[in-house]
Amino acid sequence: MAMLEVEHLRKSFGGLTATNDVSFRVDEGEIVSIIGPNGAGKSTIFNLITGVYRPDAGDIRFEGRSIVGKKPNEIVDLGIARTFQNLRLFMYLSVLENVLVSQHHKMRSTWLSAVLRTPAYRRQERAARELASEKLAFFGPRLMSFRLNQPVLVLSYANRRRTEMARAMATGAKLLLLDEPSAGMNPKETAEITQIIRRMRDEGGYTIVLVEHKMNLVGEISDRVVVLDYGQKIAEGDYHTVVNDPKVVEAYLGKKAETDEGAGAGPRETRT
Amino acid sequence: MTRAVRTPTALDDVDPQRRVRNAALTLVALGLGIVALWALQSVGSTKLTQALALFAIWGVATVSLNLVNGTLGILSLGHHGFMLIGGYTTGLLILSEEARGRIESSARSTMTDETLAISVANLLRGLGLDGLTTPETLWVRFLIAIFLGGLVAAVAGLIVGFPSLRLRGDYLAIVTFGFGEIIRLSASTRVFAPLTNGALGFPGIESEFGKSVWWTFGFLAFTVFVVSKLKYSSYGRAMQGIREDEVAAEAMGVNVAYHKILGFVISAFFAGIAGGLWVSWLGGVRLDFFLFQLTFFFLVAISVGGTGSITGVLLGTALVVFVRQYGDPLEETYALRTWAMAGGVLLLVASAALLGFRTLRRLRPRVTPAVLAVAALALVVLLVAAANPAFLDGSFRGFGMRAIFLSVLLIVIMIFRPEGMLGRAEFSWAGLLRERRSEPTDEERRQDAWLSNPALNADADHARVDAAPDAADAGDARTDREGGR
Repeated sequence: MAMLEVEHLRKSFGGLTATNDVSFRVDEGEIVSIIGPNGAGKSTIFNLITGVYRPDAGDIRFEGRSIVGKKPNEIVDLGIARTFQNLRLFMYLSVLENVLVSQHHKMRSTWLSAVLRTPAYRRQERAARELASEKLAFFGPRLMSFRLNQPVLVLSYANRRRTEMARAMATGAKLLLLDEPSAGMNPKETAEITQIIRRMRDEGGYTIVLVEHKMNLVGEISDRVVVLDYGQKIAEGDYHTVVNDPKVVEAYLGKKAETDEGAGAGPRETRT
Repeated sequence: MTRAVRTPTALDDVDPQRRVRNAALTLVALGLGIVALWALQSVGSTKLTQALALFAIWGVATVSLNLVNGTLGILSLGHHGFMLIGGYTTGLLILSEEARGRIESSARSTMTDETLAISVANLLRGLGLDGLTTPETLWVRFLIAIFLGGLVAAVAGLIVGFPSLRLRGDYLAIVTFGFGEIIRLSASTRVFAPLTNGALGFPGIESEFGKSVWWTFGFLAFTVFVVSKLKYSSYGRAMQGIREDEVAAEAMGVNVAYHKILGFVISAFFAGIAGGLWVSWLGGVRLDFFLFQLTFFFLVAISVGGTGSITGVLLGTALVVFVRQYGDPLEETYALRTWAMAGGVLLLVASAALLGFRTLRRLRPRVTPAVLAVAALALVVLLVAAANPAFLDGSFRGFGMRAIFLSVLLIVIMIFRPEGMLGRAEFSWAGLLRERRSEPTDEERRQDAWLSNPALNADADHARVDAAPDAADAGDARTDREGGR
């Protein structure tokens, strides 16, 4: 069964059409990568799915129900969580608190019982802390013990990325949208994050949609790859089919010189 | 039967053995505090009792204002408006019969018979609870009135909270300021004059509650309890998440609108309570008791103490109240020579403080031209004053010197410690006793072993070159090894 269906999605900002008639689907337990040159509309798709933007046309269905027009926090309630391309952590909160904030929407106690620390509230708080450490444990012991109570501010860049992924996992979402999870990481860390994303699917049971630029990461873990260019889907399929698709090669590297003349494809080359 | 001792983990804020000790210390400190309060108000002067009561009343206001300013991260400048609503509501509800009679017989009064009949006593009579309308049970009526005052203010907080959903930052601050002023000015208009008695207000409010340290500190304890429990709960974390990054908080499932309004409403409720105590402390209600200046004093207290810390806010409040109540000598008339002497000494102190600051922060060079220049200026001023030249004859009255003093204090704090005296740290016993763990826990040893094993950890190669200054990316700052927070 399709977990996420995106149909004929369109969004423009003024004269710029960032996403134009994009359709794809994500099945449960899949890892799907969305790739494309800079400005292809990858992050816009994430913003549309998570309710930051409203699509101009088209439909987004999650588990069969349309989620268009819902607020970002309602979409998290339904089971979609995301990470951000340029890290958006709560800098002055500790690692543990960051991962606890994302579980707050599951809290069943009212603010009054939270103030009075009722047994029901304490139980939920305890459970939230245990779940937080369980999700942080995905990344080995490096975010555990004394790190838990350090503000995110003092963490290294790679550890911040990991904290953000743990935070998204702790929301209780079934579908994770990871916006460039390996951005700014060295090759070793990238290799590790690749393993972690695979384990998130296999052990954590998450369905994962990735936006990524690092092709070795994409090739290693993707079940399917969706390629965007200028807001349009130009290819879809498994990694090897997609990277050998002439349209994809053209989008990334530009047209061959002899066909380039007269076609007015000049600006395309400047992007590569 | 043996009880299983749970081993402490980093998941606990404080480890369980210490928690018991901390609770015991807190109880002892509270007991000592109560004894000290009793001693101070039975031995000390009326002025001291009044200052203590004012500290507690303003403490209620600053702690509640800081729920919006510090925890939610929204600069709110309309706190005096909420206090006005709470103050007028409480005042009207507990106004004594003879005060009502005086208002009724006054020719300039704008109140009607209907509005003059609004009181808790009449409400209780209507409910058939005549036993609660005697002079001995005034405290019951005061409690009901102040609670209702808080509720009315909370409704106003709900209304002010809505623009906060669409506006951010400075724009929102202007809106809250506008609301505060709208509330104050509309209270004097013809629409509300039957309820507020226009510019005259109500004189003759019972001051036995507002000037009693027990009542005011009781309300302060209640406020601190609710606000701190809220701040350090899941709801408070969500509010702090909104403060840190609203977009991220929303993307992590936090209902931003609900939490902002919740913060505004709770803050306004306690502002209303502070307003009720404030009019009781002043012994009357008038429009000019609720000027923007009040919010300004609260903001100074919050900024000086530290927006991230409830204990810091109380410390700042104590400072501001002290200057307000005991700053009279600053505003008296002195000979110009005395002023010059005082200025010279202050400059000398400033120079020494700058030197101390640089020593504390290990800044080099320790003695900068600025330190020397300020010291030299101080000496010049002192020498001139000592020489007693003719132009220093005469005297000067330091009118408004208190406000100037507070403003200078604010400037100094903002330059040298912008996060306030306590910053984000809350007072803690562990911090006071300077507890430091010398030995790493087993959990930390395991972590170290893992982190330094290149076979297991992608960062391990970096960890070894960590000593090189250019490998800053790999290593996190490992500073927080102190026990407790």
